Amino acid sequence: MTVDVDPITVSVIQHRLTAIVEEMGEAMLRTSYSQILNSSRDFSTALCTGDGDLVAQAEHIPVHVGAMPWAARSVNEPFGATARPGDVYLMNDPYYGGSHLPDVTAVVPVFAASKLAFWSLNRAHQSDIGGATHGAYNAAATEIWHEGLRIPPLKLYDEGVLREDVLEMLSANVRHPSDFKGDLFAMIGSVHIGERRLQALIAEYGDEVTLAASQAVMDAAERQARAIIATWTDGTYRGEAVLDDDGRGNQDITVRAEVTVSGEELVIDLEASDPETTSFVNSSFANMHSAVAVGVAYMLDPEVPKNDGMLRPVTVKAKEGTVVWASPGAPVTLCTNHCGQEIMEAIIKALAQACPERAMAGWGRRFRIAIKGEDPRSGKAFIWHLFQARPGGGASAGGDGWHGVGEWQAAGGLKFGSLEVAEARYPLFFGRHEFRAGSGGAGRHRGGMGVDLELRLETAAPAVVNTAGDGARHGACGMNGGEDGRPHDYAMRAPGRRRRRLATKEEGVAVAPGTVFEIHSGGGGGWGPATERPAAANERDRREGLLAGRAKE
Amino acid sequence: MYLIGIDVGGTFTDLVSVDEAGRVVIAKSPSTPEDPSIGVVEGLARLAEALGITREALLAETGRIVHGTTVATNALLQRRGPKTALLTTEGHRDVLEMREGLKWDRYNLRLARPDPLVPRELRLGITERLRADGGVEIPLDEASVDRAIRRLKRARVEAVAIAFLHSYLDDRHERQVAARVREALPEVYVSISAEIFPRIKEFERVSTTVVNAYAGPTLEGYLQRLGARLAEHGYRAPILIIQSHGGVVPLEEAIRVAAGAVLSGPAGGVAGAKASAGLLGHGDLIPFDMGGTSTDISLIVDGEPTLAADRGIAGERIALPSLDIVTLGAGGGSIASVDVGGVLQVGPASAGADPGPACYGQGGDAATVTDANLVLGYLDPGNFLGGRVRLDDAAATAALTRLGAALDLDAVQAAAGVHRVVNTKMAEGIRLAAVRRGVDPRRFALLAFGGAAGLHGTDLARQLDITRVVVPRAASVLSAWGMLASDLRFEVARTHIGDTGRLDAETLRALYGELEANAGTTMRGWHPGEIGFRRSADMRYGEQVFEIDVPLDHVDWAAGDLMDQVARAFHARHEELFTYALPESDVVLVNAKLAAVGHLDTAPSEPEIATGDPTPATSTRRIHLDGALDAPIFALDRLAAGQQIPGPAIVESPTTTVLLRPGDTATVTPLGWLDIQVGD
Repeated sequence: MTVDVDPITVSVIQHRLTAIVEEMGEAMLRTSYSQILNSSRDFSTALCTGDGDLVAQAEHIPVHVGAMPWAARSVNEPFGATARPGDVYLMNDPYYGGSHLPDVTAVVPVFAASKLAFWSLNRAHQSDIGGATHGAYNAAATEIWHEGLRIPPLKLYDEGVLREDVLEMLSANVRHPSDFKGDLFAMIGSVHIGERRLQALIAEYGDEVTLAASQAVMDAAERQARAIIATWTDGTYRGEAVLDDDGRGNQDITVRAEVTVSGEELVIDLEASDPETTSFVNSSFANMHSAVAVGVAYMLDPEVPKNDGMLRPVTVKAKEGTVVWASPGAPVTLCTNHCGQEIMEAIIKALAQACPERAMAGWGRRFRIAIKGEDPRSGKAFIWHLFQARPGGGASAGGDGWHGVGEWQAAGGLKFGSLEVAEARYPLFFGRHEFRAGSGGAGRHRGGMGVDLELRLETAAPAVVNTAGDGARHGACGMNGGEDGRPHDYAMRAPGRRRRRLATKEEGVAVAPGTVFEIHSGGGGGWGPATERPAAANERDRREGLLAGRAKE
Repeated sequence: MYLIGIDVGGTFTDLVSVDEAGRVVIAKSPSTPEDPSIGVVEGLARLAEALGITREALLAETGRIVHGTTVATNALLQRRGPKTALLTTEGHRDVLEMREGLKWDRYNLRLARPDPLVPRELRLGITERLRADGGVEIPLDEASVDRAIRRLKRARVEAVAIAFLHSYLDDRHERQVAARVREALPEVYVSISAEIFPRIKEFERVSTTVVNAYAGPTLEGYLQRLGARLAEHGYRAPILIIQSHGGVVPLEEAIRVAAGAVLSGPAGGVAGAKASAGLLGHGDLIPFDMGGTSTDISLIVDGEPTLAADRGIAGERIALPSLDIVTLGAGGGSIASVDVGGVLQVGPASAGADPGPACYGQGGDAATVTDANLVLGYLDPGNFLGGRVRLDDAAATAALTRLGAALDLDAVQAAAGVHRVVNTKMAEGIRLAAVRRGVDPRRFALLAFGGAAGLHGTDLARQLDITRVVVPRAASVLSAWGMLASDLRFEVARTHIGDTGRLDAETLRALYGELEANAGTTMRGWHPGEIGFRRSADMRYGEQVFEIDVPLDHVDWAAGDLMDQVARAFHARHEELFTYALPESDVVLVNAKLAAVGHLDTAPSEPEIATGDPTPATSTRRIHLDGALDAPIFALDRLAAGQQIPGPAIVESPTTTVLLRPGDTATVTPLGWLDIQVGD
């Protein structure tokens, strides 16, 4: 491609590409059926070149950013040469370019002058993907086959014709086939919008100009990233982040990053990370790349476009068989949270030594619980997922961390629902849901507070609880001399029984009616030495009752 | 007899009067932010002068003043409200500050945390708790109220919001506590959530109630001063205040629901657009109001503006229904720059009014959209804003030359680029806004008003496959005239969660009957004339999280299959918005809503302009449209009704300039508006 594109056309096409992925996202929001998609927005839309380079991605969930090109490449490899208009491909397999099984990606080819020019992609977190437990997070899994249905890249539509047998095979392997199909058709609708609007763009500007401008858009992001990296101090820096455990009695599983800053380039070497485990905290290959991309994006300026160009100055080194890149067959479902977040943490800790002002402190880790039981008011079964009691956000050069905004990989992008609505719909009573005083890590800028939640189960019969997460031993990391946030502290108290702590990776715990969950989510990390915190800021924290031991006034 | 509309803006107070013959007279006076009522009274003097009568005579002969004010908005934006406290259910003091766990601008990890309107030490827990079925889990503990009142006194608070969990089911505890607070602190402005927004979802309810308490005292002080000043000058007729939902209410009601005025700034323009839809016989309009720093767009569908319930300002949520206005960060003052990657960007930074675009000659040197339009020849340097501002052509060219140097382009090429990029941004913004609301922009007409809209409308329309652009003669008239066309509106709602399969028709009729009786009583107290009722409901499928607003005006309330009809209305609306319906799924009604509308006499429409021979162009000017050409220039005010103008051409008026591209044809309407057919 040697066409010369004027800079104005590049700018116009950049805006158009961004608008296309946003419109694909809007269509998804409007047509998807599951709560996790239309409320929590756990999906992403993207356009890649025919070779799989990311051109534009809607900024929904940061941790999807670096994963999409691998999905495009995984489809391109077997199907690129024979792809036809009207084909729709599907994949989720972490050992064929996927992140974890619940994230299913729909991909369609877009042609320019009858040559494959782009891929239009939609990745969405399914509410169920089969396997041994509902919702895929299975702390008991020791191999990927326990976690759900593997979908290596396959063709779902052949030149516009649905392969019904394939669809039936897929839906037969998930728990709620009608939801699965509803969400799947929403995803396909969304990628077709991307296809149609790209074709309109190609018709308007011609294939050569459109392709050349897409390259120019990535080149521009590359120049922006390089310009920022060039301001960092050259050197080789190390950072590490430690997972609580694998749920099997092995503690302190460590991700190690050695980051070399050299002029405008970064080499991120994760090879010294601990060996893979037998549980779902392992990362898949694509998720590792994604976590690296998010870690790097968090160090750049927010306006740097999230495309392949941003990542061109970055070289990643890793070893198969480590916790950051599991070998085929190992379970990986928790990895978009953990150890994905630890990969970001290790990289950011390393880079904090090269450009301390840009490194923000750690955000709290994810610790989810799911309660399955029967609502005595209706006699219906229910499954409730904890999205309340979010941990604290990390502090930064910009100021104190935000209270209760959640985890690093979503950075405040996931919403928790109304407690009033939850009480009306589930047999639950929320006695208390307030900031957890003293939980934010001390620092010149203080970490955001976690949240205290007191939740009573009002079923008539025993219910079952699963947990999945990390961070009950290790709090969110402090940065540049700031202190760590306090770790999570989850427990339950059955009527007439003693308090029982909940571990972060438990499966099938029986819960008596009337049990009260006492949940204290972790705080964010502090930034800068606490001795530098202005007296007025401490005085304000005292006034607001946010200092340790002053939860009640 | 006159009707007067008064819109207080940041710089100018706009006044407009309409007499029985529809004659419109406009006056402007500088706004007086410390007490905007001073500027209003001064403006009335100027308006009277323009009419050739005294202010007292004008006010004596005025039947209605409709007023739009941003006093409540500014109190929030500038954090100039009173010291405000929140009394809420013990154990749940942080609902306001948690903001549902969301942080905006996800990749900006250094974004500072915004302060909530009520600091944590003034969010006080009251011992009490209702259950989701309305039962009392914990009775109201008077001792906790005593403690809270002592704290309020010690802190010398000036406003108090009271919002308890599940109070939409039973407001007893809120009312008891409010009575105690009013007794102990009679000077304090008190808002209770069961009155302001009695609906399920605590964040929306708490935040809206707090905004009300925070904005209330400031708005109350201002409106009382305004009422007193107007009375001093002999005014006796009603003063109506325009609300965020586009309707108007009496002054006393505006004071009670201060949160209802916070988002009312652009409401006049939308009301004007609604009125235009009637005049044009085209019910589907996209009002496109392009100003100096930003562009407001909204949708008129089937002649009615769309409402939203999820808007907010300065990080605070206001869940009261408000006109669904989307603000895009692009306007005439938007600054063009080349980013580190070498890509041309326009906005969101703006040169504002000071220093303004380079061509204003006030020291600004950044190239803006207005500078680009000047360099392209679209604007006449000697005739901008009716000649009030002389534009500096050389300064604009210098700014665009500097911008172009970074892109290897000359000034004209750079200017064309700025124009194209800003149009792309706005077109994509409009497309997304339409998609979000489940409508296809192609069937809409673009209503272009606001100083900069006329130069961009025809290109936006092309990008959106829109074939019709309408430019009213004077946008300020449109806005004021729209305000005068607004009806009285009073909204009530009640949360009543029920499966439509199990909820019986009698219960639903009784529910709406009660809402109608309550709203009707209030409306009859305001308005002796005709009253209409609009019924709607917030509904969802069983497992969904979000409700959608379903109009229920067209169901037969007396029918035996009422519940089926309600469910069908929901399925149909769901399909319209989300492209699919699930007729087999349970349908849940969450909030019953009703608006009482008091129909006011509309202002007579403007007199028609004369028909006659087409008025020729006044001159020609060299403009750049994919190459230079000499375009004829027309004066909008001198055109004859029915006259047709083919593009390329420029039509100028003292408030706007309209660019017709090749293939466009503008027809002058009897009211002197331009009705443009875009493309061949």
